[in-house]
Amino acid sequence: MFLIARTACSRVGKVTWHRWHELQRLAAILGTLLWVSLWPRHWRRTVRQVFARQLLFTGVESVWFTVVLGLLVGMAVVMQAHVWLGKVGLSPMAGPLLVVVVARELGPVLANIIVIVRSGSAMATELGLMKVRGEVRVLEAQGLDPLVYLVMPRALAMVIATFGLAILFIAVAFLGGYFLGRFTGGFHVDTGTFLRSLFRAMQPVDLLNVVVKSVLPALLSGVLCCTAGLDAQSRVTQIPAATKAALGQSLAALFLVAALVSLITYA
Amino acid sequence: MHLPAPILAFEDVAIESNPQYESAIWNISFALGPGELLLVLLDREHRLLPLADAAAGLERPLEGRVRFGGRDWQTLSADDAAAERGRIGRTFAEGGWVSNLDVEENIILAQRHHTQRSETELLDEAATLARQFGLPGLPVGNPSAYRRQDLQKAGCVRACLGEPVLLIVERPTEDVYADLIAPLVNVLLAARRRGTAVLWTTTDLSVWDDPGLRPTARCRMFGSRLHMVPN
Repeated sequence: MFLIARTACSRVGKVTWHRWHELQRLAAILGTLLWVSLWPRHWRRTVRQVFARQLLFTGVESVWFTVVLGLLVGMAVVMQAHVWLGKVGLSPMAGPLLVVVVARELGPVLANIIVIVRSGSAMATELGLMKVRGEVRVLEAQGLDPLVYLVMPRALAMVIATFGLAILFIAVAFLGGYFLGRFTGGFHVDTGTFLRSLFRAMQPVDLLNVVVKSVLPALLSGVLCCTAGLDAQSRVTQIPAATKAALGQSLAALFLVAALVSLITYA
Repeated sequence: MHLPAPILAFEDVAIESNPQYESAIWNISFALGPGELLLVLLDREHRLLPLADAAAGLERPLEGRVRFGGRDWQTLSADDAAAERGRIGRTFAEGGWVSNLDVEENIILAQRHHTQRSETELLDEAATLARQFGLPGLPVGNPSAYRRQDLQKAGCVRACLGEPVLLIVERPTEDVYADLIAPLVNVLLAARRRGTAVLWTTTDLSVWDDPGLRPTARCRMFGSRLHMVPN
């Protein structure tokens, strides 16, 4: 019995210690990345090109998917809100409720999920393959620092793309949901009243909430996915496992940050 | 009389074996001044050595020091080391191409990163070098679309682009000796006249015996040790 308890304690200790080291490493990489990104000398034309390509891939190429998802989610949420609020005679509360559901929570979280699934996995796989094929070493041999050339532009492009997609998602969800509601006869308020109720419900803290919930998880996922790829050693078979782990960690970080930010902002 | 510091100096360098390499290296010492060429004949059983990586400051020696331009790689900051590597041209024995870039982009990548030279100027110089190495022009398209022989020539173009201070030429003539040796020797002679130091590793006895190469010094690897061979 004592032996089992000791083994269990030792295992828990090892896992905790391992996670603690991983967190320290992540913090060190994040800190270095942010520090390095402040200096214009690190934004050379090669780095800017990687940044632009990543922004195109993560942001621009996800626009249609985000618009469609925003429309569908907006339609579902706006319709449900109006139907149920109408039943209990609280139709004027539609604006605040939509801000709570779509702007505070769904917009940033779903934009992050889109980016993690579409780009995070691609980034981890791409960098993993580069590492296994020795291409990262080739870059280093030519004086291109992998953190500056590979990680920094990808992670920061992911941040900007996610923020943009979150705003787009929220706007499309509001407007799309409203117009579909009008079209199907579910809404009985005019566009001006609807928009005014939204803007009245939106507080500065909500805007801050959208920014933090979009930006922080995107930065964490960018770094997690890039480092997972670069941690692959010499076997191609390590890449799917690294990608899976990176996606899991990114999603965990996203929900953890979302919950913490909500708690800090609104509790 | 004050002699200029050697461009590359190995001082009793030892590097442990690791899975990337086929052998460790022990007690390696040599110095390469401006315009000098050191030819190293590798043992066929131990072709993958940390010699080139150590010269570029990518491997930390277990013992000894590797100096580039008089400065020990280990004392340089990450930024300084990266900038210094931008002054080294290198052909890679294995791979050497970033697969998400075209060959043309690969060729000018380091120069675009480290210098302010315009792309037109870089592409013109690269195209001229490509023709010197027997290519019809600057290769465009993904590296996977090219034969190994063409990539080796393109690798030489990349290494020689931008008049590097040091050229590390790793087994460049494998499979392409007849095609490549004459243009490579000519381009290297011109580079040496400008003051470029050259470290050339080979397993090819034809290169070792080539009279046109005129190396400053010749060495032979026996296992993990380097032995000077009188010229």
